[in-house]
Amino acid sequence: MGGACSRKQEQDNEDSLTRGLSRRYGKCGSLKWWTSSFSCPSVDFHLRKGECPPLLDLCIQKINEDLHLGEYDGVNDNWMGVISSQGSSLLSVDLSGSDVTDFGLTYLKDCESLISLNLNYCDQISDRGLECISGLSNLTSLSFRRNDSISAQGMSVFSGLVNLIKLDLERCPGIHGGLVHLRGLTKLESLNLKWCNCITDYDMKPLSELASLKSLEISSSKVTDFGMSFLKGLQKLALLNLEGCLVTAACLDSLAELPALSNLNLNRCNLSDNGCKKFSRLENLKVLNLGFNVVTDTCLMHLKGLTKLESLNLDSCKISDEGLVNLAGHKRLNCLELSDTEVGSNGLHHLSGLSNLQKINLSFTMVSDGGLSKLCGLSSLKSLNLDAYQITDSGLSNLKSLTGLTDLDLFGARITDFGTNYLKKFKNLRSLEICGGALTDAGVKNIKELSSLVCLNLSQNSNLTDKTLDLISGLTGLVSLNVSNSRITNAGLQHLKTLKNLRSLTLESCKVTANDMKKLKSIYLPNLVSFRPEIYNLWCAAIFLLGESEIDLIDEMGALAVLVQNR
Amino acid sequence: MKKEDTVKLISAEGFEFVVDKEAAMVSQTIHNMLTSPGSFAEREHGEVTFPEISTTILEKICQYFYWHLQFASGKETEFPIEPELTLELMMAANYLHT
Repeated sequence: MGGACSRKQEQDNEDSLTRGLSRRYGKCGSLKWWTSSFSCPSVDFHLRKGECPPLLDLCIQKINEDLHLGEYDGVNDNWMGVISSQGSSLLSVDLSGSDVTDFGLTYLKDCESLISLNLNYCDQISDRGLECISGLSNLTSLSFRRNDSISAQGMSVFSGLVNLIKLDLERCPGIHGGLVHLRGLTKLESLNLKWCNCITDYDMKPLSELASLKSLEISSSKVTDFGMSFLKGLQKLALLNLEGCLVTAACLDSLAELPALSNLNLNRCNLSDNGCKKFSRLENLKVLNLGFNVVTDTCLMHLKGLTKLESLNLDSCKISDEGLVNLAGHKRLNCLELSDTEVGSNGLHHLSGLSNLQKINLSFTMVSDGGLSKLCGLSSLKSLNLDAYQITDSGLSNLKSLTGLTDLDLFGARITDFGTNYLKKFKNLRSLEICGGALTDAGVKNIKELSSLVCLNLSQNSNLTDKTLDLISGLTGLVSLNVSNSRITNAGLQHLKTLKNLRSLTLESCKVTANDMKKLKSIYLPNLVSFRPEIYNLWCAAIFLLGESEIDLIDEMGALAVLVQNR
Repeated sequence: MKKEDTVKLISAEGFEFVVDKEAAMVSQTIHNMLTSPGSFAEREHGEVTFPEISTTILEKICQYFYWHLQFASGKETEFPIEPELTLELMMAANYLHT
């Protein structure tokens, strides 16, 4: 599997990608300053009426409303005393990724006003810790992602949290049988059970009583068509994520009885054309994901009437040019995913009237340079993925009118220095990838004026030199930069000093050492959170040890570290 | 409005906020600067420079001054504080005795 394929995996898993970064960006040492240097702990947070509160008190009150300690290093039970001292003025606590244990949670018993509690990735919390929060009946949002210890028995405390609106138990493998305790939670609107592969049809039955439920995510569980039949009465259910479940087209009968259903994810469900006729009953769908199923043009025929569709994912389906004629009337469509399909230039003809289309992915399709001319009337288009070998400079010349583009992916396309001349007009570009190998420093001259760029990937262009870094040193909006597999040397790093917003810098297989990257970060680029090469490259080690198939299942470096250790 | 009734507050970046003296005096620190006998240059020129306070924060503080006056006159509204400003604003409030 090459770089291109693994990139695709990342795109599928946007959630993990953004989270992985944002969790670390969230760090801000100044909260520690607050706990240590304020010598007036006895401020009365309940402001008296009629007396004008000092600004200082207003600020302190504001901070106490929301206590976000997620991902701070070293947060453990010792912190809990301070946190719980806020008592009933504490409304929200985020302890994700901390070392807090069941004992630490006992401190929260008196924080009766708590509305939101986040204990994601707190692997030292078990059923016993859950008991401590059983009295916090004001909780509306509770999150326990990736907890191996929570069991059906421990979940009995949920029955008392009658105000819960949002419950997140993603990747909790031990909760089978525990959903019966959710039956009385009539206010529950959102339930996330993604990646809980212990969940079966039996667990669906108690959900039939959750009349307020709007969003249900049970991807990668063992739920089948039978389990779906329990959901029939959920009048408000708008979002249903069944990605990778064992359902067939037969479940569409049950889904047709969900009047509010607008967002349906059936990616990777092994669906075939068999029974797909029933899709025509789901007229209210706005978002439909059918990626990685063995459906063909026949299935697309039954989507013809779903004219409210705004987003359609057909990634890796067996569809071809003829099938796309059924989408020509979908005037509201703004996002269309056709990656890895048999669609070619002739098919694009049917899409030329989709004036609201903002995003289209044509990577790994048969679309040729000439076919791209059919896209030139799509004036709303913002994101275009043309990662395909047959696309060349002349293809770009057909896109000149698309000046609203913000994201352009030409990863595997064969773009040369000459082709970059066509990019000059794309002044709104925020993200650009050209990794076909033919680009030299001369081509980068045309890129340096694209001052809106936030993400730039010029890797695999082995002729790029330090001159490239000099040229792009004026792109101060850059947050992510990749110039791997080039002739960049340590001497070139000095040009990056101006890129103060840079958070991710990748210079693999260049003449750059980990130490020089570290120096650059510590002196000039303090915002850098991810840089390659690093002293110990965990990803490479893990791929070497585990093989790629297992890597696909992993979305976080933390879990990876554990796996590598256990090996 | 007479010049004597106003005071100029200058942020770290050099932005100038001209506010009523009455409003600025909500801050005990500014109050002391402007009223204490002796020769505080601030008192003479009616100008105070805050090299440690950014423009965004100083603007918020000026808003607070006027909100405070409004509150004192009986109009009890809520003072909005953007989460991203809270920490910096708190430091400034501490310094200004506000």
